Amino acid sequence: MRKAGAGSARLPLIILIVTALFLITLDLRGVGVLQGARAASQTVLSPFQRAGNVVLTPIKEFFSDVTHLGRTRSQIERLRADNAKLQTELLNRKNADAQLDQLKTILDLAGTAGFKVVNARVISQGSSQSFAQTITIDSGSNAGIKRNMMVLSEFGIAGVVKDVYSNSALISLATDPSFRIGIRVAGSQQIGILSGRGNRSASLQLIDNLTTLQVGDVLLSLGSVANRPFVPGVPVGYITAVDNSAGAVAQSATVHLYTDFNALGVVAVVVGSPVRNPGDALVPTKPQPTPTPTVTVYVTPSPTPTN
Amino acid sequence: MITRQFPIALSIFFAVYIIQEAVVNQFRFFGGGFSLFLIFSLIWAILSSPKIAALGGFMAGLLMDLSPSSAGLIGQWTLLMIVACYAVSYLGSGNESLSSNPLGFTFLTTVTIFFVELFYVITGALLGVASGDSEQVLITLVGIFIWSLVVTPIVLPLFSRLHAFTFNTRSAI
Repeated sequence: MRKAGAGSARLPLIILIVTALFLITLDLRGVGVLQGARAASQTVLSPFQRAGNVVLTPIKEFFSDVTHLGRTRSQIERLRADNAKLQTELLNRKNADAQLDQLKTILDLAGTAGFKVVNARVISQGSSQSFAQTITIDSGSNAGIKRNMMVLSEFGIAGVVKDVYSNSALISLATDPSFRIGIRVAGSQQIGILSGRGNRSASLQLIDNLTTLQVGDVLLSLGSVANRPFVPGVPVGYITAVDNSAGAVAQSATVHLYTDFNALGVVAVVVGSPVRNPGDALVPTKPQPTPTPTVTVYVTPSPTPTN
Repeated sequence: MITRQFPIALSIFFAVYIIQEAVVNQFRFFGGGFSLFLIFSLIWAILSSPKIAALGGFMAGLLMDLSPSSAGLIGQWTLLMIVACYAVSYLGSGNESLSSNPLGFTFLTTVTIFFVELFYVITGALLGVASGDSEQVLITLVGIFIWSLVVTPIVLPLFSRLHAFTFNTRSAI
């Protein structure tokens, strides 16, 4: 079972392991050269990621359609009817229009709050091999993007800028396990800390127990000192479950994040903070139920029976 | 591997790394997906002698550490890949039942990927790198295992031929 040469491999093996431990030690001590190497790696990879994004976008859309087939059968039925009418017009513009819609909503959101934003396209989804939730966008320091800037999607917070390169930037998504953001509950103004859990469901820990959380409560970003990394008032998510364990020091809850992280095509990086706090102005409007028309028929009995 | 093989091997490693970062990472797979580069590195290691496997593991780990989407410390993947590649080479290359048939090869590669990812989480926790709650980590580990089980037999013939081409060996799986 043992291969010839295994014994002679011990010295090189030890040298390589010591080198790896040396690298870990340097990185733990925050030596800038290593982070520079990672930045150089992104600079090299960025053109390939852009090319890959352009070539693979139609394939990604195809698989996205296939995976959503079971979940939204009724929606597909409705869309199929619409699609028959619009197919010819939209064939060559489908991707562009989808991104335009996302962009418009993001700009509406940013405009309402008075944020100055830089828009960017997502050119790569991060690998899950390192259990991190990241994306790469096609704008970087040349567009004025810096580290620790907030990133918005059409629905609210998407993440925060983790690393910046000349023409691209790495975004740590709000679903990343290391992601933490201070939030306040719209209305009650309670504050707490939201933590990513690796999926669209995040966990919330309140600072105090003055009032009670309710399912459906909307959470907004609290904002940071000098608005970096987080600007105030951006929609984060809504509460889906409240943990009212007896004896708990502070209330905790499960939160559904507004942003659909599987469908991020266009995002906006907040490069300029608002003049004033937008308060609750960005709280998403609750969907209004469609009124069902009621028809009342009055029947007056005829004086003579009919045959 | 010093004169002719090393530049060829380095080019192949880099090409697969580019494919991983520019193509595979474009997709967000259910359950975590797979790492083509990790699969390639381990297949390469099983086919190589322990010394070359360790060197290949060092190259692969360093590239994985330099990936912008890598959350860990630089050196963490390097350390794990050196040990993993050396171990699979040591265990697999002399064992005909494992290394000479595709099923054994796939089994060894996939199980190693599972343990490499598991040790990445453990060492990450020791070094202060957040990996998410245990439920999500378990889902991702199982997802990566299943995806790797599916992908490994598909890419195995290509990667073994690349290895045979580099080292001028006749046999390829």
